[in-house]
Amino acid sequence: MKSRSLLALTASALALPGIAPIARADTPPTNTNIAYRVSSYEEDKLPEEFLFAGSAERYDITIHQFQLVTPVGENYGLTLSTSVESMSGASPWYAVTPFDGEQGIVMSGATIHEKRRDYSVGLRRYLDNGSLGFNVGTSKENDYESWNGGFDIQGDFNNELTTLAGGVSFSSDDINPTDASLYNRVTDQSKRTSSAFISVSQVINQNSLFQSSVNITHHNGFLTDPYKLGDSRPESRTQVAWSNAYRRFISDLDGALHLDLRIYDDDFGINSLTFDLSWYQNVGNAFQVIPRLRYYSQSAADFFTPENDFSGLPLFNSSDYRLSAYGALSGALQVQASINDMTISFVLERYLSDDSYSFYDGGKSPAIVDFTRVSLGLGYSF
Amino acid sequence: MILKLKLVMFPLIAIVAGVLAGCESVEAWERGTLAKPEMAIVSDSLEAALNDHIYFSKEASNGGHSATGGGCGCN
Repeated sequence: MKSRSLLALTASALALPGIAPIARADTPPTNTNIAYRVSSYEEDKLPEEFLFAGSAERYDITIHQFQLVTPVGENYGLTLSTSVESMSGASPWYAVTPFDGEQGIVMSGATIHEKRRDYSVGLRRYLDNGSLGFNVGTSKENDYESWNGGFDIQGDFNNELTTLAGGVSFSSDDINPTDASLYNRVTDQSKRTSSAFISVSQVINQNSLFQSSVNITHHNGFLTDPYKLGDSRPESRTQVAWSNAYRRFISDLDGALHLDLRIYDDDFGINSLTFDLSWYQNVGNAFQVIPRLRYYSQSAADFFTPENDFSGLPLFNSSDYRLSAYGALSGALQVQASINDMTISFVLERYLSDDSYSFYDGGKSPAIVDFTRVSLGLGYSF
Repeated sequence: MILKLKLVMFPLIAIVAGVLAGCESVEAWERGTLAKPEMAIVSDSLEAALNDHIYFSKEASNGGHSATGGGCGCN
């Protein structure tokens, strides 16, 4: 078996596209790493000109994340992750077209207050030329419970310059909407999800590498949003995503370029394109500044309607803005400091959406969101 | 898949093929740069997990770099 130092040197930093947030490396962890992050997510108010009824205030969410990655013996790595979200705010209930022809959004009247907790455990067995990963997890909210598990395998070839990986995961979700009898909502619904991916990672030269992944996901069961009036969706959905990642270190600038491109397609009629550009700038030995730009463009679902149809005639229809045609630009800045064995990071992100940002035609919604996100993270290695 | 994505997909396939065809052999002692944390496909797993969750909740698309994990009532 190769020595640990040689394994560390030959590690090509090709991250295994494992199931988030499992440790993604092709060598066992040598230290125990603890990380904590708190984030504040705030959506902008719905513009008054589109508010037909209800509150214009939208979601405010606080998220706490915690992760522990530790070696277990010489050949195993253990990852424990948990997150807690506290949510408050209102969301779009349904859409109308008042007599002046403009879309109007009816927002949910009451501000919800809800908590979500999720937990996951992952174990990775490292082999001479690859690794095997297993993980289980659960997510719980007042009205939603999910259990999931998965398996992935990674193999290194071609003098560890090429990595092939693949994996599967399964999720079983139970849905019990709140205030079901008050609002005539469904009860005791369920959804099953299965997903698989394959990927290839390739070292191009001493300074660059590339990864390409294909992921297929199939959902079966209750896919309608029970909190959107008149919402009705098919009971099956298949999604395909092709992601490509390029990493290049530029030694003259002491920084690394990240380019990511994802193409997406599903049988709801939605296509999308996502492009991510980041620059990791080292400042001295202790600091790193990471500006990031993201562009997203999606088409509308086949059954998306700008205005809800309550006639009962179309089998499927939804005015959910997340199924409309729109695009989004987001910019983020991350600053990171490493002091001895501690890491401190700060992230600020601003996300702006607009139907004119999309290169797709299709139904549009004035309820698409803009948001601001701030995160503060601490990490410690021992 | 609609025409607009096909216009992106086919050039992307050509780029991927070209990149892979241009690969060099890199010996173990030459891989120091590749092992830098900033060269990882995912450099910050908590940031990546949070971004995945936010975009999953607010956009219609999902997945791409791994098998998807558990669900939530967010979408």
